[in-house]
Amino acid sequence: MQNEVKYIEIVYRGIFQKRLAKYIAEGIVYMARASGKSALSFGRYGDSPERNGVPAKYYAAVGEVNEEDLIGYSTRVEPDYADVVIVLDDTLVKGVESWAWQGVQPINLKLREGGVMIVTSQKRAEELLPEIPSKEFNWRLAIIRSPASFSGLWAFKDDMTMEKVWGAIAKVRPDIINLEALESYLKRKDKAQERIRNAKISYEELIVREIRAGEGRNYKYTPPRLPTWQEMLEGAVIPAVPFGKRNEQFKRGTTKSERPIVDFDICIKCRLCWIYCPDEVFDETPDGYYDIAYEYCVGCGICAEVCPVKDCIVMVDENLFKEYESPYNLWKKDKQKYKEWIKELKERGKKERVFVPGLGR
Amino acid sequence: MTEVERLKEKEILMNGTQAVAYAAMYADVDVVTAYPIRPYTEVMDTISKLIADGELDAEFIVAEGEHGQFEAVKHASLVGARTLVGSSGTGWMYGMEAIVVTATDRAPVVAVIGNRALDDPGAYGVEHNDALMVRDIGWLLVWVDTAQEAFDTTLIAYRVGEDKRVMLPVGVSMDGGFLTHAEQLVRLPPKELVKDFLPPYDRGKYLVHPDNPISVAPQVNEDWVMEIRRQHDAAMERSREVIEDAYKQFKKVFGRFPGTTREIKMPEDPFVEPYMIEDAEVVLIGAGTVSKPMKVAIKSMRAKGAKVGMLRLRWFRPFPTREVIKYLSNSSVVCVVDRDYSMGSPNGGGVFYNEIRSALYDLEERPKVINFIGGLGGREVTIQDVEKIIEIGLEQRDTPVTKPVYWFGVRGERW
Repeated sequence: MQNEVKYIEIVYRGIFQKRLAKYIAEGIVYMARASGKSALSFGRYGDSPERNGVPAKYYAAVGEVNEEDLIGYSTRVEPDYADVVIVLDDTLVKGVESWAWQGVQPINLKLREGGVMIVTSQKRAEELLPEIPSKEFNWRLAIIRSPASFSGLWAFKDDMTMEKVWGAIAKVRPDIINLEALESYLKRKDKAQERIRNAKISYEELIVREIRAGEGRNYKYTPPRLPTWQEMLEGAVIPAVPFGKRNEQFKRGTTKSERPIVDFDICIKCRLCWIYCPDEVFDETPDGYYDIAYEYCVGCGICAEVCPVKDCIVMVDENLFKEYESPYNLWKKDKQKYKEWIKELKERGKKERVFVPGLGR
Repeated sequence: MTEVERLKEKEILMNGTQAVAYAAMYADVDVVTAYPIRPYTEVMDTISKLIADGELDAEFIVAEGEHGQFEAVKHASLVGARTLVGSSGTGWMYGMEAIVVTATDRAPVVAVIGNRALDDPGAYGVEHNDALMVRDIGWLLVWVDTAQEAFDTTLIAYRVGEDKRVMLPVGVSMDGGFLTHAEQLVRLPPKELVKDFLPPYDRGKYLVHPDNPISVAPQVNEDWVMEIRRQHDAAMERSREVIEDAYKQFKKVFGRFPGTTREIKMPEDPFVEPYMIEDAEVVLIGAGTVSKPMKVAIKSMRAKGAKVGMLRLRWFRPFPTREVIKYLSNSSVVCVVDRDYSMGSPNGGGVFYNEIRSALYDLEERPKVINFIGGLGGREVTIQDVEKIIEIGLEQRDTPVTKPVYWFGVRGERW
């Protein structure tokens, strides 16, 4: 079965990329079928990708087996391996938490030998690689030079990301989609010429890098041992998080593609961030500032919106950060260095938001 | 119990719903949530009078509907209150979302189900389909057939449901009209004896309280649900021994088997009431007050030489598989009277019919099972009806079953 069936895993952010992921899988299925293979697609159902930013997965299966067998192999929550992992937002390379008791799973967890990971990113491989856990075998990293495609809620932003992804697959894994099938598939669509052009540009300009075994971040993922029914509390009961503590089992930090930074020098200690944060990630410091527990921050941006001081809390590209370090501690350690650092962060990675006087944005 | 103590027993004329309310008073319930619907309504009427008279000290909450009623009582139970709730027919259905999670969250509320036909069409009378809606979701379910048994079984329901091995809600089910609104003499035991039978309700580590911070019913998905279902199933299995203990303890404390008095005698089996069953070739099966015309008809048919008996099912969940096999394996024909329906089921039979057939399946020599559906929507099941059922059963002793399911007492249907 493993030789005959290939799985394409599409990792995306709910809800903004849910349609995009589904349509990419759908196209793979149609193209594979047009090439005489059997194919199907399915979402990882437990993800509940209706939550903003939550990492979620979609799968396409392509097989040299009959359709009924392929359905039999693929009636799963998720397959055991992936031949292609498509990452639709480069901040996802830091890892994926679906249900938090599973911990932070490596982005390339399911990638098998000979596999390739395709990321839409404007960063270089050298910038992304330190975030990506190493594998025990050689694999390939491919980069589509394109920003993450984020549509609005429930909507689909037809910005040619699909075509670029398909073009990239055709380049690195023609056994799954070949350029001929892709072209004939796109010919039947509206704006066919533009779609074909985008697919071809992606095909030709795709950056592909061989990654050696052991290259990348040293991160060993251990799946959790879940308790047996005899060990669990009865009646769907779990111990509550003690007052003043946070849930070690439920962090959700990988939900964010942006991270709030605080300019403590201009903070007026108004407490609005602490009050409005829906995930209670702000901690009051002894001198009345508000530190941020980034592991728990989902990057919703509400703190930046309610902060009444312009440029005090600013949302910044998540990939500019390596660690979940306390910003307050960094500031306390060296205020001048901190000031320069956040200035640089704002210049390099500030996410544009409309400034509304009094709202700090 | 000494004869002096026995004399302290009070005899009060009350119907099935009042008997339940009195039992709740004896159990010293803390919270009662209510919403009126016949025939359940008299339970809340009686409770409110007991509270007004100073006989019972309890929170009495009249909800905005059954959904709120059952939600409120579940939460009260989780924070450690002993509770009474109840409903009938379509009201029970309206509360169903909360009723399901009451079992999952392991809240041992006691609910009276005054059996009533499900709407539509409107009918106050008995059908068992309302209570049977909880047969698959981990509620304990018991049918009573006298006001005395309603009183005694309600006390047992608290003891069994609240037992740490069980921690499940118990539905005390009784026929609308024929028991809910029919007065019989109930012998109330001396109230001070209740504490020897019913220990205080103690949730232990499952108490929802600021000093014991727990979270109940989070979103868990495929990684956890099966373990929770399996726990629930294990608790239901454990309830069998807890029920047996409770009936023994009841007799020890109150000096009589539950449901019996000096006048009413029954074999001491907690799960079922066998009647003239030892040599019976034809055995009638039913739940609730249908047992009463059955007993009369059996006596008259016995007088004519027919070997016929009865097995009344008291507990339906947990299902008395062992007892059904024990009492039915020597019979030739089993006539199951269903006061319920299950359209499109195997043979189009009723719920009890199909459960009993399933329980008998593993026997090498199985009796024939015939189903009689009737008494729906409050219609009488008469002594003549039962005699005819017995006659059909007798006829089938030596012939293969040609008609497995009869509808009886229905206009336009020959039987």
